Amino acid sequence: MTFLKKIIQRTPTLRIAFTHLLGKRRQTLVAMLGVTFGIAVFIFQAGLITGFQTVFIEKTVNTTANIHIYNEAEKNRKSLFEKFDANNNDWVVVYSQKPKDEDPKIKAASEIMKDIERHPLVSGVSPFLGGQAIFRNGISQRAGRIAGIDIRREDQLFNVAQYMKQGDMLKLETTANGVILGSGLADDLGAKLNDKITVISPQGVSLDLTVIGIHESGLVEVDKSRAFVKISTAQKLLNVSGDYITDINIKLNNIDAAEALAKEFEHKYGYRAQDWKEANASIFSVFKVQNMVTYLVIISILIVSGFGIFNIQMMIIYEKLGDIAILKAIGYKDKDIRKIFLTESIVIGIIGGIFGLLLGYVVTLIVGSIPLDVRGFVAIKYLTFNREPIFFIMAFVFGLVATSVAGYLPARKAAKVDPVDIIRGK
Amino acid sequence: MTEQNNNNKIIIETKALNKYFYEPEKFQVLKNINLQIFKGEFCSIVGASGSGKSTLLYLLSTLDTDYDGEIWMDGMNLREKSKNQLAEIRNEKIGFVFQFHYLLPEFTVLDNVKLPAIKLGKLSEEEIETKAYEKLEILGLRDQALKRANKLSGGQQQRVAIARALINDPQILFGDEPTGNLDSKNSQLVLAILKELKQQFHQTILIVTHDMLFAGNTDRMISFKDGEVEEDKYL
Ligand SMILES: Nc1ncnc2c1ncn2[C@@H]1O[C@H](COP(=O)(O)OP(=O)(O)OP(=O)(O)O)[C@@H](O)[C@H]1O
Ligand SMILES: [Mg+2]
Repeated sequence: MTFLKKIIQRTPTLRIAFTHLLGKRRQTLVAMLGVTFGIAVFIFQAGLITGFQTVFIEKTVNTTANIHIYNEAEKNRKSLFEKFDANNNDWVVVYSQKPKDEDPKIKAASEIMKDIERHPLVSGVSPFLGGQAIFRNGISQRAGRIAGIDIRREDQLFNVAQYMKQGDMLKLETTANGVILGSGLADDLGAKLNDKITVISPQGVSLDLTVIGIHESGLVEVDKSRAFVKISTAQKLLNVSGDYITDINIKLNNIDAAEALAKEFEHKYGYRAQDWKEANASIFSVFKVQNMVTYLVIISILIVSGFGIFNIQMMIIYEKLGDIAILKAIGYKDKDIRKIFLTESIVIGIIGGIFGLLLGYVVTLIVGSIPLDVRGFVAIKYLTFNREPIFFIMAFVFGLVATSVAGYLPARKAAKVDPVDIIRGK
Repeated sequence: MTEQNNNNKIIIETKALNKYFYEPEKFQVLKNINLQIFKGEFCSIVGASGSGKSTLLYLLSTLDTDYDGEIWMDGMNLREKSKNQLAEIRNEKIGFVFQFHYLLPEFTVLDNVKLPAIKLGKLSEEEIETKAYEKLEILGLRDQALKRANKLSGGQQQRVAIARALINDPQILFGDEPTGNLDSKNSQLVLAILKELKQQFHQTILIVTHDMLFAGNTDRMISFKDGEVEEDKYL
């Protein structure tokens, strides 16, 4: 500190800069607070958004298979006429074409699964049979999704056990007609552990199932609709044969290999294979927009704090025209004058910025410790802030850039002051 | 010019110096000025208000660079110098005292005096301080050194400005009505100090003044009229 003081004492330009700032304490403070506020908002906003996104991505990626193989129903099917008449230039119009009830079954699924399991990069394979169903408990009734699974394999892929709210998931294997309800679905139905509920499929099959567990993934929409059952139960409900499954989910040792491997599997087995990135592409693009908006907000705030600095600098310059004239008359160069005023802005930026970092950090700590029960996309108990150092560095750098740019224009103006005008004018 | 100065060194010289203002309309302020100021001279410029005296001083002191003709200083044609070089020349070779004491009000007297020397950067911190005290001593202000500049009286502040102008031992000291704002007692004090500077330290001095008593006490009086030298005589 004393060392710093000595440097300032011995460097007239620095001393002049500090003298100017101290001569306008209140305005300097306001300008600093502008920067402090801007940077605190930066830390808060960026930390909040990316913190939220990280949680969301974690949850989503954890509940998305690394690779998902399924039988993609052919959309926009060509009519038979078009198929057979492809080279004919005549107009063929087919009215009221309806999608045929295409069978989403994966044929020879168990062979495919065995084959996939042998792949060195694959660490887990889980079969899946999905379908719509109506869930009924007394008079309450909800539409939901049946997820027919092999519970052990499913657990290996998606950590089912970790997200069990109530009950033991392995009971699914031992109970004749067991079901694990999503927590939201259970709430909506008013169903509790060991209750019996009725499930009716579009195929007209109705089964009474025993609730052996309640599962909460944290993804609100999923928890509101999904019910795990054994594959055989699902097959009964959907009225299909004993080898019928619609999807194969795959877990990899290295998720970065997903994209390449998905292509390979798609080619090899003739079914659609989607990797996790592709499956969540829409979320990632929403995040991109979200980030853009966040940064726009941050930039606007920094611009506003820039105006504060611009303002005080212009004020100081008008008040200190006399000083500028003397300094020039005794041999200070334009660039020395520019340095004085730029230093002032940068000092405001640095001090305001440091307090902004502290304030931002403290606010994220405080807000992050307020318990809340938000149920939006995902269920969260506390806001999760991303407090990576890179944000603090970025916020500080942005703050400094904003203050330097805001301070540069007044500094240039000061450097251009013609001393003769000032000396004459007095 | 008189014989006595013929073999003296010329500090500053103008050759066919003309100066125009273009606002509000074209107007010639200085008309064909040919002047030579010699080393060690204590020179005064007098003339009616508006005759162009200040304008000439700003040109000679390199603050104003918009002119026709030539200005030579210490053997250098000022027109050939860049803006930064002119700043260096002002710093090293020129001292300037204005009518209104231009000091940095928040700085101490000592720091104000040191400022040009720190900018020049040729001496150590300690040497600069010693020298600043020397100059303050000459101006009778040694005991005021650590006061804030704006706590001094007008006459004291003007003397501080002179000390500051002298700190780098300039080739020439310019003054634009340095006593214009002072009472007669303080004016006489400043005059006495300038005379001493000339006599003891052979300081070259060029002062614009309205005060004929002051001008009568200098070595050489240059009278201006409507932008022209009307009379140039040694006293
Ligand atoms: N920037 C300018 N633009 C236009 N005209 C100017 C400008 N500065 C000075 N003048 C004019 O130039 C003339 C000379 O001005 P200058 O200040 O040199 O006179 P002066 O001799 O110093 O007068 P005074 O004794 O009152 O100080 C005046 O008529 C003045 O109005
Ligand atoms: Mg004048």
